[in-house]
Amino acid sequence: MKRRDFIKTSMVLSAFGKQLPLMAVGRNRRQLGRTSQWETDRVVILIKLNGGNDGLNTVIPIEDDIYYEARPTLAISPGQSLSVNDTTGFHPSLGPIYPFYQNGQVGIIQGVGYQQGNLSHFRSSDIWVTGSDANEHLLTGWLGRLFENEYPDFPDDVPDHPLAIQFNSANLLEFRTSESNVGMMVFDPETMYAIISGNYVPGEDDPAPESYGGDELAYIREIDTLSMEYSEVIYDSALAGINTMEYPDNNIGYQMALTSKLISGGLGTPVYRLYQPGYDTHANQANNHANLLQDVSGSIAAFLQDMANQDLQDRVMVVTTSEFGRRVYENGSFGTDHGTSAPCLFFGSNIVPDIFGNHPDLTNLNNNNNMQVQYDFRQIYSTLITDWFGLPESVAQNVFAQSFDSIPFVQEPLSVKPPVLPAHFKVHAAFPNPFNPTTVIGYTLPAAGNINIRIMDSRGRLIQNNHLGPISKGHHTFRIEGKTWSSGTYFAQVETGGTALTQKITLVK
Amino acid sequence: MAEQPLTRRNFLKGKTKSRPELDRLNPEWPTQRVAKLYRKFLEKQPPFYHPPISEEVAPPLAVTASLNSMRDVDWDQSAAVHLLGRTMFGSTYTDIINSTSDSLSNTVNTLLQELETAEPPGDWVNEPPPAWDQLTYDEVQAVMEQYRERMWQMANWWIVRMTQNPINITEQMSLFWHNFFATAQSKVFYPQAMYEQNAVFRQYGLGNFKELLRRVTFGPAMMIWLDIHRSKKHNPNENFSRELMELFTLGVDNYTQVDIEEASRAFTGYVTNGVETNYDYENQTGSGFWWDEWHDFEDKTVLGQTGPWTGDDIINILLEQEECAVHICRRIYKWFVYDYIHEPVVEAMAFVLRENDYELRPALEFLFNTEHFYDSNFRGANIQSPMSLLPGLVRKFGMEEFTYPEGFFLRSVEFLGMTPLEPPDVNGWTGYRSWINSITLPVRKLVNSALVTGFSPFGNFDFMVDVRSMAQTMYDSDDDGYASEQIVRKLALVLFGVPLSDILETKMLDILLDGAEPYDWSINAPIGDAQWNRMRDLLLYMIKLPEIQLS
Repeated sequence: MKRRDFIKTSMVLSAFGKQLPLMAVGRNRRQLGRTSQWETDRVVILIKLNGGNDGLNTVIPIEDDIYYEARPTLAISPGQSLSVNDTTGFHPSLGPIYPFYQNGQVGIIQGVGYQQGNLSHFRSSDIWVTGSDANEHLLTGWLGRLFENEYPDFPDDVPDHPLAIQFNSANLLEFRTSESNVGMMVFDPETMYAIISGNYVPGEDDPAPESYGGDELAYIREIDTLSMEYSEVIYDSALAGINTMEYPDNNIGYQMALTSKLISGGLGTPVYRLYQPGYDTHANQANNHANLLQDVSGSIAAFLQDMANQDLQDRVMVVTTSEFGRRVYENGSFGTDHGTSAPCLFFGSNIVPDIFGNHPDLTNLNNNNNMQVQYDFRQIYSTLITDWFGLPESVAQNVFAQSFDSIPFVQEPLSVKPPVLPAHFKVHAAFPNPFNPTTVIGYTLPAAGNINIRIMDSRGRLIQNNHLGPISKGHHTFRIEGKTWSSGTYFAQVETGGTALTQKITLVK
Repeated sequence: MAEQPLTRRNFLKGKTKSRPELDRLNPEWPTQRVAKLYRKFLEKQPPFYHPPISEEVAPPLAVTASLNSMRDVDWDQSAAVHLLGRTMFGSTYTDIINSTSDSLSNTVNTLLQELETAEPPGDWVNEPPPAWDQLTYDEVQAVMEQYRERMWQMANWWIVRMTQNPINITEQMSLFWHNFFATAQSKVFYPQAMYEQNAVFRQYGLGNFKELLRRVTFGPAMMIWLDIHRSKKHNPNENFSRELMELFTLGVDNYTQVDIEEASRAFTGYVTNGVETNYDYENQTGSGFWWDEWHDFEDKTVLGQTGPWTGDDIINILLEQEECAVHICRRIYKWFVYDYIHEPVVEAMAFVLRENDYELRPALEFLFNTEHFYDSNFRGANIQSPMSLLPGLVRKFGMEEFTYPEGFFLRSVEFLGMTPLEPPDVNGWTGYRSWINSITLPVRKLVNSALVTGFSPFGNFDFMVDVRSMAQTMYDSDDDGYASEQIVRKLALVLFGVPLSDILETKMLDILLDGAEPYDWSINAPIGDAQWNRMRDLLLYMIKLPEIQLS
């Protein structure tokens, strides 16, 4: 390396202020005339439930006998679970997000995984974060490739906010590009939160020993704080941002609180990756799983409310992921072992609150006695790229080197591709059902037309008649408000062009 | 002097335009004409980064002043880590285990053993200087470029030696003496001279101090650096005699201005051409024409002693003073133990040094045997210098056999404020907390991370640390805990200066396991297995912690 390159480097160094010293030396990639198509200010918050979340106990098939046979001690009874619909219940620890579910802000994608599921944590996690097939070994992350695609001159020529923020000390693979890493590490959210709240004492939770060595450790920690690896813009956003809710006093709570501050403080970062460890429940699952779900759902609930209070709810979506699910049959240690697929939950006000897919068919397990895959995880990520962030389908294809069918869980897709035309007029299951006081009915129109939605009570009396029209072709939702009604069974009829489809809905006050 | 907190802003504001390497050039070295061209040449080079000086020292704590030899029963893993950490660059797990199962005295002996002579970095080390007056302008430029290349080649060679040093204190001592005699290549000009001085440190650095001092004094590098060269009887130069007394022997306030002036008369008549000098080692005197012309043969009175002293005589007189041994031992203490000096220990060490007629080995052996040295206060109290940290980490990761991109080591340590062969001034590097400020700390993390990721700002590698071998070397089925738990503890033992706290141990295990249970982590996982990525992630995490900066 020549001396002049050293000068260039030293200028990078002295000019970088509070930026990470970026590896900008020697870069010469330029794609002239290429600008990013990223225009939206939407944010996705991805939470990894680290260790393999037991999906079967999270979204419970309360009518499935095999479920109860397979899990004599771990199965959750209908009485214990929170009611989603006739066949489905939530784990009771999901209590905090239940009101949001009732308000149509929670959705489920069943059976998420990939073909030939690998049962090793590390390998399966790597498959998820690199977006590869089970037999491929990629060295870059899907988010890395996404951002590299959008910002080919990274780290030059990028927006002034970090492209992604990761709340974990390690496992950078999701953001790794061919040459660097687009995430910006925040490796101790509790510390950072305390700093931003102004009450940070370095080493407060892990005091330095009382010795000269300890004195030097304390000194370095102080300098470390001054030179923390987050840029000015993150720091400023966090200072400007507010939390209108109190978050649970645990690590995932801190992560969500910090995320909320950053978003409310105006940080433009579109992707946050949060981590909640502990899901590898091989033994004594009952309490552990319950606590974990309690922590995360409490945090998500606080977050959703916080965003709503600040009128930011339309911009954000939370999605849970995990490297795999767990086995159907419980083991001899009152726990479960590694499995294949599991549901992903998604939250927000800009979502389609529906259950995509079905309960796993417990009579049709694979030859390892594990559940079959219904959706490839890359379908979710692809959908986020196209529908949530509004990037062309070619981008998603570049990232995954294949095309994946999107899942229509985004209520207002920004998709630039023409929406897939439905072949038939369809009405989706109302969700939630039973409900109180709101439920949402989705329907799909093959062609534009006038819609009538009628609500009748159990005796067939017309309670509501909504003339909606003209409605464009595609998928839509309609909110049914039952606040003033009495408990009981009702019928929702959706009619267009002479065809009517009816659904039974139950109001339970 | 840092009066304000060392924030990035303050540092950049205080950034001076002065270039010490230009200010101290000798306008006649090597010749008047070449000196002018050299100055212009140097001006075009970017300035060296010298971190601001931090004068903070931690307040005194109650430390065992016990000068008794540590008992064999107290020689444990923790003691071995401490001793090796202070004397070597980069002790590996195997080094620690082997030393622990050996004894304190054997380990100290191994450390103090004499090594075989090192191969020089190139044949140019003996090359005579060119006939400057016969060279054209372009040829002079070419020679200066070539000399510059050789300086950096040598510096790189030295760092590579540090990555490959065995359980031995020789390289550490050569770095110590380099800091002690603080000679800068920018003024010395000739790479041959800088090499010669470095070779002297290596060869004599553990032997007799008087002999070392003599060889350094009359080597071409020092003669240029402190202006011994061409100091004439009519108007002698005080530079060397001042620093000789203040820095190399007695320490401040143990002599008078008159002593300095008188001594400087003795250091006249010595000359060098950059590669050779007119000093006669056998007869301990200058020789030849310039000696006869310029040496002051009259009587001088230094520290109360009168006679027709030569440079050697002055050295002898100075070393007779009790303060001299104390001063040297204080410097050694500062380097090997801590910046806060515990005087009784220094005095005792000085006594040993004097009793052994300035042989350094016994004094060092004494220090490394005292209970004081192993006091738990000092564990992790040393903030590693750049040239200790990076080469040390290379060796700890078992990466010393690789070929690194050209300039990687040099640029890295330069960036961290320690350009080898270029101390900021004759005081050497202040070191201690000066190494760590809000600019250097992130860069430390960055260059160390390169060993794990392969990405560095100074050229990418096509190799990485072999975590699997590391793990398999560390794992012992006879030790407690799952493999993953052992790896966490043992990595901390090798990499951290301070003992591992429970909280940190938990965090580290979380990272290594990434959601899995401890028993899911197998020491025999095949080479490409995704599990090893997690160990690399753990190393990256450790590299970013304050604990790794300490030894």
